[in-house]
Amino acid sequence: MRKTLTGLLAGIGFSLACGTSAFAQELTIFWAEWDPANYLQELANLYEAETGVKVTVETTPWSDFQTKAFTEFNAKGSAYDMVVGDSQWIGAASEAGHYVDLTEFFNKHKLAETMAPATVKYYAEYPASSGKYWSIPAEGDAVGWSYRKDWFEDPKEMEAFKAKYGYDLAPPKDWKQLRDIAEFFHRPDEKRYGVAIYTDNSYDALVMGVENAIFSFGGELGDYATYKVDGIINSDKNVAALEAYKELYKFTPPGWAKSFFIEDNQAITENLAAMSMNYFAFFPALVNESSNPNAKGTGFFANPAGPGGEQFAALGGQGISVVSYSENQEEAMKFLEWFIKDDTQKKWAELGGYTCNKAVLESAEFQNATPYNKAFYETMFKVKDFWATPEYAELLIQMNQRVYPYITGDQGTAKEVLDSLAGDWNATFKKYNRVQ
Amino acid sequence: MAAVRTSGEVALNRVAIAAVIVITLVFLAPIYWIASTAFKPRNLATTIPPTVLFQPEVSPWVKLFTKRSQLRTQPTPEEYEAAPWWERIVFDGGEKVVRDGRGNVQWSAYPDRFMNSLIVAITSTVLAVGMGTFTAYGFSRFKMKGEADLLFFILSTRMLPPVVVAIPMFLMYRMVGLNDTHWGLIILYTAFNLSFSVWLMKGFIDEIPKEYEEAALVDGYTRMQAFFKVVLPEAATGIAATAVFCFITAWNEYAFALIMTNRRAQTAPPFIPSQVGSGLPDWTVIAAGTVLFLLPVAIFTFLLRNHLLRGMSFGAIRK
Amino acid sequence: MATAVMTRLDPQSRAAARGWSDLTIRNLFVIPTILFLIVFNIFPLIYSLGYSFTDFRASTNAPANFVGLQNYRELLNDPFIWSNFAITAKYVIVSVVGQVIVGFGMAMLLNRDIPLKGLLTTLLLLPMMLSMAVVGLFWKLLYDPSFGIINYALGLGTFEWLSNPNMALYAVALTDIWMWSPFVMLLSLAGLSAVPKHLYEAAAIDRAGPLYTFFRITLPLVAPILMIAIIFRTMEAFKTFDLAYILTSQPTTELISIRLYKMAFQEWQTGRSCALAYIVLIMILAITNIYVKYLNKVKER
Repeated sequence: MRKTLTGLLAGIGFSLACGTSAFAQELTIFWAEWDPANYLQELANLYEAETGVKVTVETTPWSDFQTKAFTEFNAKGSAYDMVVGDSQWIGAASEAGHYVDLTEFFNKHKLAETMAPATVKYYAEYPASSGKYWSIPAEGDAVGWSYRKDWFEDPKEMEAFKAKYGYDLAPPKDWKQLRDIAEFFHRPDEKRYGVAIYTDNSYDALVMGVENAIFSFGGELGDYATYKVDGIINSDKNVAALEAYKELYKFTPPGWAKSFFIEDNQAITENLAAMSMNYFAFFPALVNESSNPNAKGTGFFANPAGPGGEQFAALGGQGISVVSYSENQEEAMKFLEWFIKDDTQKKWAELGGYTCNKAVLESAEFQNATPYNKAFYETMFKVKDFWATPEYAELLIQMNQRVYPYITGDQGTAKEVLDSLAGDWNATFKKYNRVQ
Repeated sequence: MAAVRTSGEVALNRVAIAAVIVITLVFLAPIYWIASTAFKPRNLATTIPPTVLFQPEVSPWVKLFTKRSQLRTQPTPEEYEAAPWWERIVFDGGEKVVRDGRGNVQWSAYPDRFMNSLIVAITSTVLAVGMGTFTAYGFSRFKMKGEADLLFFILSTRMLPPVVVAIPMFLMYRMVGLNDTHWGLIILYTAFNLSFSVWLMKGFIDEIPKEYEEAALVDGYTRMQAFFKVVLPEAATGIAATAVFCFITAWNEYAFALIMTNRRAQTAPPFIPSQVGSGLPDWTVIAAGTVLFLLPVAIFTFLLRNHLLRGMSFGAIRK
Repeated sequence: MATAVMTRLDPQSRAAARGWSDLTIRNLFVIPTILFLIVFNIFPLIYSLGYSFTDFRASTNAPANFVGLQNYRELLNDPFIWSNFAITAKYVIVSVVGQVIVGFGMAMLLNRDIPLKGLLTTLLLLPMMLSMAVVGLFWKLLYDPSFGIINYALGLGTFEWLSNPNMALYAVALTDIWMWSPFVMLLSLAGLSAVPKHLYEAAAIDRAGPLYTFFRITLPLVAPILMIAIIFRTMEAFKTFDLAYILTSQPTTELISIRLYKMAFQEWQTGRSCALAYIVLIMILAITNIYVKYLNKVKER
């Protein structure tokens, strides 16, 4: 017993001793566990070489990223000086005061002009069109598509496809073609399937996938300024889009009911699907021959247009924000000043980061650097995002609850599903006094 | 005991042996598969039919201990030649070793996490079993009002779903500075295992005849001496069995380790699956991490196996 | 409680005079543990009980407003929550019954003259030494219809274990059974080996059938320890989170602790999730209470 008590006291003493020793010359950035975080570490190494300030990028698996970040914020923890946070967090994090207001910094460096407009709108500004900024667009990302170029370019396949559908087999220009090609390559007997899409409903994967359809079909999730959803989320366009997404589910490999970036990349490497939806940030693994035996035969395209010719994609990516409980805010601001320099942004892109800097994105050098950079560039100027209100997670879960059984379990109709969703969302907005 | 064996009984025993062998094989198949994956080249990890014969590789183990990122440009032949053997393995896998600003190789977090796991699991097991033994003795030998209720209270502490206490616990830890410390996790796991430990140990101590202690008391021992010199040795097998269970629980705990700790004190369970993160899972590395992480607990159990079997039959049941 | 001590020794006796009194020893042995558990379990519980009557959200800095029983009322009227409970009940039953049958069956087989019994038993314990998260990850791969080895080994083609809404919960339970049957086996084995051999011999002399022997001799004598195994497994199954969360995300597998996790750590509805946690806790308490009462009855027989 005495041992326990001494231990307890010792433990408390020990941790207190550690807790107070904050190093001014060290900064910690929190991000998810993936390659861009490694690239950021490499970029930060250059900063250390220049200034002597050690910057550590700390990571956690994607599945726990949101939980871990907000648990830390909510406890007003100073473990992280900066966080590269998801675009949807910005409402919750800014309203609760977790993020430092960067409006002044933003205007001083005219970031609204140098960064791609969509990234400023979705990663940095909250509330919508308020002119208040909370983060610096850091890692641009959106949903794009990879496909099996070797299958597409097989003369026999091309001939058969043309005979069946009356047009040439090529990366799809619109969702109708996407569906046709998926159907064409869907051959369960040969263990080959048409298309890999996102279906995981544990966080935002399925919703991102559905958004791809909705936005390209010309639909919206709602009016982000007035919180009106009825007639928008359940519009005819959205009903058609949801039906199109469900149609694609028919052509997915077996067991495709909890798929996200890993499964969708595996669909290409394991010869399962002809086309696969994924974030651009996960494409490097597909051009690497060591991890993808089909690397040479893999191509990429941007999310195709909808029936009305509109073409959009769901936004991923993150902005970098300063945590308001950090004890090193000044140092963090200095780091950001260095980070936004054109040279740094260029270097960031070279290392493999997806810069949001307009000039770098537009350079031929960037667009030719990888097989997918061009598709990325095209996409980043036509992206849309989910709600960024503090209660976004509730909206997300409600959407999952309604949409998932329809897509994977064939329950209800698209119209019914979206009507109920409009009801759910409206009730949520009422609860938080966003609408009367 | 010397039962006369009929031929029917012998046949029955053979059937039982055959069934045991089949069941053991079925139960161990997934583990064999994980263990063999830990030595496979990456491209053979998910083949169908599964690859049984292959040239074992050390690449998963090299990758387990290094921090790596996707290779964007191939290394020059000179760079490749100059690299040590393990770095070449990483290059061959299409990745490069991450270095810090001073050019030092960055190790993966695995060794640190593994050490943290050892510290936390061993200390909390010692505490939980120790306190559990004392308390079980107290309950077993002395009567008190509301004994059943107290025992039920102790049991009920194990019923809380971790998420129930996670938030208040987190805030509380922040306040006293136990966040991200070894002691923070040790205390948590001790609290976690205490109920199990008390319940199991009470079963064991109940079985030790009171006459032993009384004889010792008559011989001039104090109660404390009798406890340490008579009861504890008798309860050794029970203590060993309890320790195995407590160790397994503490060793593998995931949810609190994830929420309560960051880089200083985080244990390995949240780290091993995180190797999935970079776009494509490298099953060989996850398998290597899993196998190495299974070793200490398997060795511990194996060493105590006789106690475990004997201990279980000795304790928790009334004659 | 302090005055209720009833030692078997006379306080004036030589033994008691030599060292600490039994009362002191008892208090020294028991009270620290109770205090420790109160600080680390009851304190957080009181904390969350308070929050369960508010609309507190830990993700914002807005002050918590008292809303009375609103959280409880809304939760108990939410059909999604009720289906979560139904799923959990089904899961607990399937998984615990499966573990008891498999584990007890293995123990019956092992309770014979089997060569290398100690080694085999230890090897069979390996699954429960793995971490839940890792087991989830690898079993997802094992179940994969395209490159999992389960379908390959059983010749099931592209059978969809995890994405078939009607199958997924059983698949999760199957993994749990694989992992925890050895635990039941170990405890049952302990119970079985403690059954006095002469009882079986007597039964054999009476020409009792194997069924009679099993139900009249084996089962009653093993029951108490089996009950302990069942209590702990039921409690753990009720709390199952990582395994089901990693394996599948079907609405038909959304166990109550997954819903709780989402509410608490994704939606950050702290107040409401505390209320849900209380509902869950009361249910587990009730179930365990019934168990423990029954266990005591079994023990008395």
